[in-house]
Amino acid sequence: MVVRDKMKLLRLTTLVSVAVLVVLALFPLIGIPLSWLNYLFSFFIYLALANMWNLLAGYTGLICLCPAAFVGLAGYTMAIGTHVGVPFQVGLIAGAAVAALFALIISYPVFRMKGIYFAIGTLVLPEALKAWFNFWRPVGNEYQGMGAGYSVVGVAGITLGEKYWLALAIAAASIFVVHIILRARLGLGLTAIRDNENTAASSGVNIFRLKLSSFLIAAFIMGLAGAAYYIHVPSIQPKGGFNISWLLLPLMATVIGGEGSEEGPIIGAAIVTFLRFLLADYGAWSLFIQGIILVVVVVVMPQGIAGLLRRVGAYRFPQKLFQAAEGKIHKT
Amino acid sequence: MVVKVLCDTIQRSKKVTMSETAVLSIDGVSKSFGGIHAIQNITFGVRAGEVLGLMGPNGAGKTTLLNLIAGVYRPDSGRILFEGRDITRYPPHKICHLGIARTYQIPQPFTSLLVQDNLMVAAKYGNKRGDTLELDEILDLVDLLKQKDTIAGDLATVSLKRLELARALASNPTLILLDEVAAGSTEAELPRILDITKQVRKMGKTIILVEHVMKVMVEAVDRIIVIDKGEKIAEGTPGEVMEDEKVLAAYFG
Amino acid sequence: MEVSLVGLASPIIRGILLGGLYVVIALGLSLIFGVMKLINVAHGDLVILGSYFAWAIMGWLGIDPFLSLVVGVPLFFILGFFVQKFIINRTFRISLDAALIACFGISIIVQSICQIVWTPFNRSLTTSYQLQTFAVGPVIISLRYLLNFIGGLTVMIALREFLRRTYLGKAISAASQNEPVAERMGINPNRTYSFAFAIAMACAAVAGVLQGLTFYFSPTSGSPFLIISFGVIIIGGLGSMAGTFIGGMIFGLTQTLGAYLSGGSMMVQMIAPYLLVFVVLAVRPQGIFGR
Repeated sequence: MVVRDKMKLLRLTTLVSVAVLVVLALFPLIGIPLSWLNYLFSFFIYLALANMWNLLAGYTGLICLCPAAFVGLAGYTMAIGTHVGVPFQVGLIAGAAVAALFALIISYPVFRMKGIYFAIGTLVLPEALKAWFNFWRPVGNEYQGMGAGYSVVGVAGITLGEKYWLALAIAAASIFVVHIILRARLGLGLTAIRDNENTAASSGVNIFRLKLSSFLIAAFIMGLAGAAYYIHVPSIQPKGGFNISWLLLPLMATVIGGEGSEEGPIIGAAIVTFLRFLLADYGAWSLFIQGIILVVVVVVMPQGIAGLLRRVGAYRFPQKLFQAAEGKIHKT
Repeated sequence: MVVKVLCDTIQRSKKVTMSETAVLSIDGVSKSFGGIHAIQNITFGVRAGEVLGLMGPNGAGKTTLLNLIAGVYRPDSGRILFEGRDITRYPPHKICHLGIARTYQIPQPFTSLLVQDNLMVAAKYGNKRGDTLELDEILDLVDLLKQKDTIAGDLATVSLKRLELARALASNPTLILLDEVAAGSTEAELPRILDITKQVRKMGKTIILVEHVMKVMVEAVDRIIVIDKGEKIAEGTPGEVMEDEKVLAAYFG
Repeated sequence: MEVSLVGLASPIIRGILLGGLYVVIALGLSLIFGVMKLINVAHGDLVILGSYFAWAIMGWLGIDPFLSLVVGVPLFFILGFFVQKFIINRTFRISLDAALIACFGISIIVQSICQIVWTPFNRSLTTSYQLQTFAVGPVIISLRYLLNFIGGLTVMIALREFLRRTYLGKAISAASQNEPVAERMGINPNRTYSFAFAIAMACAAVAGVLQGLTFYFSPTSGSPFLIISFGVIIIGGLGSMAGTFIGGMIFGLTQTLGAYLSGGSMMVQMIAPYLLVFVVLAVRPQGIFGR
């Protein structure tokens, strides 16, 4: 992708984005139905995850199969916190911090692994955590004889609107973070690493440090999204907290929407949210159909929708519109 | 206190002597890969501002040697000194920061980035020595200025070779390792390549040149080192080396 | 708790025998990785599918699970052939990442099929002889563990002979070592891949029966087996069947010794293999015997 020509559109797109953000923020106040708010809540959570997955896989070249580890750890930290007097608001940040800390600790062994080894190495983590949390119960009463789940205390009074704003803020943060990174030196370095790690190193890029930056940012924001989700639910178990779905969701969003672009995850997350709500009443069939769609899309349309649009030249028309509008704005 | 002053003077005089003779110093370096001795006890120095040619039959270890200098491999024994500093165990990015840049025999560009962004990576991450460079000038030097907004993955192989050199220059190096920059070029293109090499030399850079194309080797370099099967077998001016029996034996059996 | 030498003998022997199961499970993964350089992340789930299939045939026809393999092996063979032919071969034209994603999709599909057809509850293959044990000196050996070992050895040797002696086997070996050369010799790589995947699936069917006799399983039991299989093929060094066999033993021992030394802790049994895989990947990915 070319960041350069987007610079020209910066001012107008910023205006449009802020406008969209304001409109979305007003939704709970202007009587939008609760079911819509619920729907958008999920969309925002999935979007944050998709953006971070895209940062890792699409821009840094790290196919990391452990989003569930970040989500689950953040969720558990927050949930357990509420049982020892830590309010969920603090738990939200603490959870994200724990996820980032976890990322920091495993980065040393995990960045030594290359390619598929890295993928499997990261796959081990949520599975191991799932097993661990099945047996580890630091606080609270025994739950069916072993570890397992926690409820989240103290969230009964929170309205859906407030949770909606939280999710919106996290999604907006994820978009903002990716946006900033792509225009900063870090984005250049990450793309260089993705394209050719050896050349990047011999050109002065500290591979480990940049990968770590990307990894920590992704872990933190995925943690935020995860903790926010569990504030909404509001209970967590190992099977759910470390579920493969937390990997499937951003992966599908990125494959369908297109990776390595800023708009891809947005399109993909929208479609994935739509799919999930459509299939919500079908239990295991939901997962079945999602699997089929994943396989079909990756075979038939590997570059995703964003890639398809780009190839078809669909961007040229709005680009021209934008340029004309910008020209007019400058004249007034 | 007296001891300190004494030590400092000795250090400084060592450095002075070094910079008069060697900006890069390879000292008894060896490297094996699982029983295969790729480089065996090689010693030589590279003087500031010179163009040193590195020659040898296929598989002699030339690229391995470059990789050792660039920090991609670590020597099993021996030392590598750059501007007085022991860089033997330094990682590649740190070696770039100190002022050594390298090109790859098979071009390794950042395929999804624009040509100028390929240079930007090196400029923003590799140049730690203060003075900012005009990337456009570098692109102009290698005849890629018109293609600065092309995506690197769309360039022809010959252009990619020149991009390699441009990217190396963008990190503002003192020493450049050129790995077969002329390979694959036609007869007509050779003079331009020679010209570019000479211009780089005029910029004050020191160059180590690995090349198979004899014309470039002979006309561009001051001195040549010949290695065969990982060992240094000859060292001298192009004229001397071409007549050396050991060199002829290595190439023609 | 006391750790005695005699006491150790039992978990050690059990671990070695259990290793046979992990070898059978890992062989399919190893074959695909060797031939196509692809890690089939659906592999664990396909083995579980094999367990469920055996369970279904057992329930339907009332026959021994090993007999169900008469139907199971050819069925899985054909299934694997077409999955490779119509899905994975197509993704190879795009990229290896695409193939990986496709395998992941297949993993999801298989897991959800198992859940739809057979519910999320634990199952196991129960036979009359399954719980039989016999004593060898002071050590008690359970029959199904012995079957695992024999099964592991048998399948491994059968596969090795197949790769060495049959035309198809040699074609597969050639393609795994040097695809362009193999292609020039008239071997169609895509068809070779299809056969390789088919054989891997056949191994998965056998593994499924053995696995089902040993452990309880549910639709999500596949992931641990995938991770362990990967560990097995890495720890022994890629491409070496003897290495894979030893790898299997190591993982078997990790579990049984872990259980014994921790007083039967389930947590240790589950997490110890994961830890081992992680450490091997981080510290010595070329395996014990690799250079």
